[in-house]
Amino acid sequence: MIIAENVKKSYKNGMVEVLKGISLKIADGEFAVITGASGSGKSTLMSVLSGLERCDGGKILFGEENITEMNEKQLTEFRRREVGFIFQQYYLLPHLSVDKNVRLGADLAGNKNYREIIEKVGLAEKLSCKPSELSGGEQQRVCIARALAKNPRVLFLDEPTGALDEATGRNVLGYIADLQKERGFTMIMVTHNLNIAEMADAVIKMNSGIITEAYKNAAKKTAYEIGW
Amino acid sequence: MIVSFKDAFKLIGVIIVAFCAVFVCTFFLNFYLDAQSLESLIDNEHTRVLYDAQMATALFTCAISGGFLALIAVVMIVFYIKLYVDKHSSDLGVLKAMGYSEVKIALRFCVFGLSVLLGTALGFGCGFAIMPTVYKGLAIEGLPEIAITFHPALLFLLVFLPAAVFAAISVFYAYFALRRPAYELMRGRERKIKLSKRIKPEKERSFLKETCLKTLFGKKSLAFFVAFACFCFSAMVQMSASMESLVPNGEMGWIIFAIGVVLAVTSMFMAITSLVNGNVKNIAMMKAFGYSMKESAITILGGYHLFAATGFALGTVYQYGLLSLMINVVFKDVAEVPEYNFSVPAFFITLAAFIVLYEALMLFYAFKINKVSVKTVMLEN
Repeated sequence: MIIAENVKKSYKNGMVEVLKGISLKIADGEFAVITGASGSGKSTLMSVLSGLERCDGGKILFGEENITEMNEKQLTEFRRREVGFIFQQYYLLPHLSVDKNVRLGADLAGNKNYREIIEKVGLAEKLSCKPSELSGGEQQRVCIARALAKNPRVLFLDEPTGALDEATGRNVLGYIADLQKERGFTMIMVTHNLNIAEMADAVIKMNSGIITEAYKNAAKKTAYEIGW
Repeated sequence: MIVSFKDAFKLIGVIIVAFCAVFVCTFFLNFYLDAQSLESLIDNEHTRVLYDAQMATALFTCAISGGFLALIAVVMIVFYIKLYVDKHSSDLGVLKAMGYSEVKIALRFCVFGLSVLLGTALGFGCGFAIMPTVYKGLAIEGLPEIAITFHPALLFLLVFLPAAVFAAISVFYAYFALRRPAYELMRGRERKIKLSKRIKPEKERSFLKETCLKTLFGKKSLAFFVAFACFCFSAMVQMSASMESLVPNGEMGWIIFAIGVVLAVTSMFMAITSLVNGNVKNIAMMKAFGYSMKESAITILGGYHLFAATGFALGTVYQYGLLSLMINVVFKDVAEVPEYNFSVPAFFITLAAFIVLYEALMLFYAFKINKVSVKTVMLEN
């Protein structure tokens, strides 16, 4: 269970308040979507929940662990053990091949069978390609393979389909959702696309740094059933 | 990872700078240490005068050439390390976000120490190989011949110590950079935002002028690096040309001149490579919007000309001031040290070489960037 209590975050020496006391609960193995307009604070909430940034106030619990009390070293260890990331901008290392980029994640978890994941995302033929030689969809799939090769307990996704066309976006989403069902990890996705929320177990809507609505979906749709 | 041990061989600039500095320091310092052994052989006043002159020459060449080259090498390499780490801060952030420890990531940067070790070891070896020529060139008639002795302390001081120091600097700088939150590193946010008390109304400027100014003032360390490299070029080439006339032996003068030129050109090459690499994304973006390569290059890189010219002027003043100070103040009582005057031909030849080299390097990079796609540039920077 991930619990956030009254989480606050601001930038520019406190002049811009982005999160104004967020409280939420996400159960283990749940697929939660955080949605809202640009500037609503959803990406900041994700970075704070995942330990990428520190919050200015409040508490974030991962089970028994309070990540807001961790020092930098403990936080790094926490991210290594528990968390995987998929970003809209991919953030692949440009001078490394597909194989080496994925291996970066696999090495952290001691995963020797990481090539299986590369095969599963359909990039077995492109092992030695550099990111600049791949299409946007392919780069996103490398990013997915890199995150999954770590065997994370919680997967954070920041607009994973934001840079993709509809067909590729649906494929990527479908693939991630299937993997989540198969492996049972918790998944927290940030998106401005309200249709994707129909695929999730839980939906959190944000506006101007606060949660305006939170609900559970009784019936989930697949990536191929939602609108785009 | 960001850097691997194979990269140590690719950091040619670092290797050359380390080589040049240690090459010159090796034979001068070795000569200075060996010349001290002559003191026990002095048995009359005449030999004493010759000995003092010999030691003064050794100290003079050590201080001027070796000291200056070593100082320049240190500043150039430190700046290069800083710019390299800064350029890769987004990659550092990704690794940190994934869970790699700061120490583990930072330790990879010790390859800079390996590059320095390659350069210093080569420099030390070549310095030793050329020593008979140096000893012949610096010897003074009337004194016994100075035997070449190997000093293990010099090997440690000139080869292993610099490598260890630069490895430590690289690792500490990377570690310091990694102390920022992973998200900040990935997105390149500023560490601190200074709040000014008064908000000045911004002047209305054209887009190109505004971009030029913002690029310059947004990357102050890059501007300093360019100015310093031009300072080095100006000072080293003019000083090396002067040393050719100051050092009594012609062969020796040419060796010093050649090393000065190699180090000067390498410094310029390192600075302009860093300058272009640090701005290639902006140039690619301007090209993508429809600006020509010429417009983009002038807007983004043109502003650095002012820093380059300032660096060159300061280098000229510095080399003249330093040599005059050494000759007229520090060594004024030594008869063997010749007079030194400002060389107008050397100045103009250096200026012409500087302009040609600077513009040729810029043209070369403009040509190179023009051939690379915007997508590649955006992904690789």
